[in-house]
Amino acid sequence: MTLRYRRHPELRLTALEGEGVVLHLGTRRYFSVNESGLAILEALKSPRTVDELVSALCARYEVTVGRAEATVREFLARCRDADVLLDESGS
Amino acid sequence: MTSSIELVCADPTVRAALKAWLDEGRLDPPGPLALHVRVAHPPVDNEPGRAVFEQPGVLVRSGAPGRGVRIEWEAAPAVAELPPGETTAYVTLSAAAAARIHECLRTFLLTVLIFLLRRRGWHHIHAATAVDPRGRGWLIAGDAHAGKSTTAALLASCGWEVGTDDIAFLTGAAAHVTAVAFRQPIALRPGGHLLLRRRGTVRLPERRKVGYWPEDLGGRWISRAEPRVILFTSVAERTLVTRAEPLARREALTELIRWSAWVMLEPEFAQHHLELLASLARQAQSYRVTLGRDLFAHPARLTALVA
Repeated sequence: MTLRYRRHPELRLTALEGEGVVLHLGTRRYFSVNESGLAILEALKSPRTVDELVSALCARYEVTVGRAEATVREFLARCRDADVLLDESGS
Repeated sequence: MTSSIELVCADPTVRAALKAWLDEGRLDPPGPLALHVRVAHPPVDNEPGRAVFEQPGVLVRSGAPGRGVRIEWEAAPAVAELPPGETTAYVTLSAAAAARIHECLRTFLLTVLIFLLRRRGWHHIHAATAVDPRGRGWLIAGDAHAGKSTTAALLASCGWEVGTDDIAFLTGAAAHVTAVAFRQPIALRPGGHLLLRRRGTVRLPERRKVGYWPEDLGGRWISRAEPRVILFTSVAERTLVTRAEPLARREALTELIRWSAWVMLEPEFAQHHLELLASLARQAQSYRVTLGRDLFAHPARLTALVA
């Protein structure tokens, strides 16, 4: 089964000068993300696979598939640590 | 000016105090809001399990969309319920709370008002507001010891228009965020009062402060400011010379979130509140300022630093 991810429903984000500021209403913490992180979080409003996120990054930026996949996987790992990501099973 | 917020209260003493407070605040929100207040034994929480957000003396219980907000005063039994989708706050004050109505207004009922105004798109920020002689709006944000009131008093003494030294509400749309002032006297501690060398006209003994209207200082009160300059101030011990450091917009936004912390509550309003803060960070130039004693002799130095 291909795992799908979506952002935590209690996230609120806004763009500012190409970067993003993210609020987590559940943990009441906030942090900033870079431009590609913001693009990934925007895409994660709906459930997405890693491949779909890679395609979204490649469509938006001039970047190789390999580089985009590394960026996506690294960002998802950081999101998981920060409790801002849910997978299909809701974990 | 009579407040446009509808007040329903059968207790004449509480009603008189509330009406005077609301009228003095001169807020004119863009749609009907109501405050229903009764003196009785406060009800128990019938929506347990909501997350608690603690502020000095006040507990706010808020949860998922559609669950409303409950606000409790810690000093004496008093509760406010703001049901989901309604523009009325239902407040129950115990007799003990009603007996301390002026203290209750400053802490508990102010918090109730903040949540009520959110229902009309007005979002609280812990900040002073002013308009300089060139017509630029200023917002001065920071905590209770950040020098906001002293700076507001100094600016008024230079003939500026000053809205508030502490309580403002952000409203508007992209590129045109306005800070609406809740009118109350600029409240200075004895140290600031002595340094300013002016007599205040409002005694605030319960706060151990002296109050000034902007007009007492040679300024003028103004309801609204469209901030083009934002200062995040602090006062450092023994700092003689005021310093200002420009902030990037993203840094400014994270500071604004800090001083407009209710953005974290009520999911149904959080996105609008966050967008308003981002628009404010875009429309203004922001600075982190360490206030020094030189401002008392040379208040124009503040303008020179951010020119």
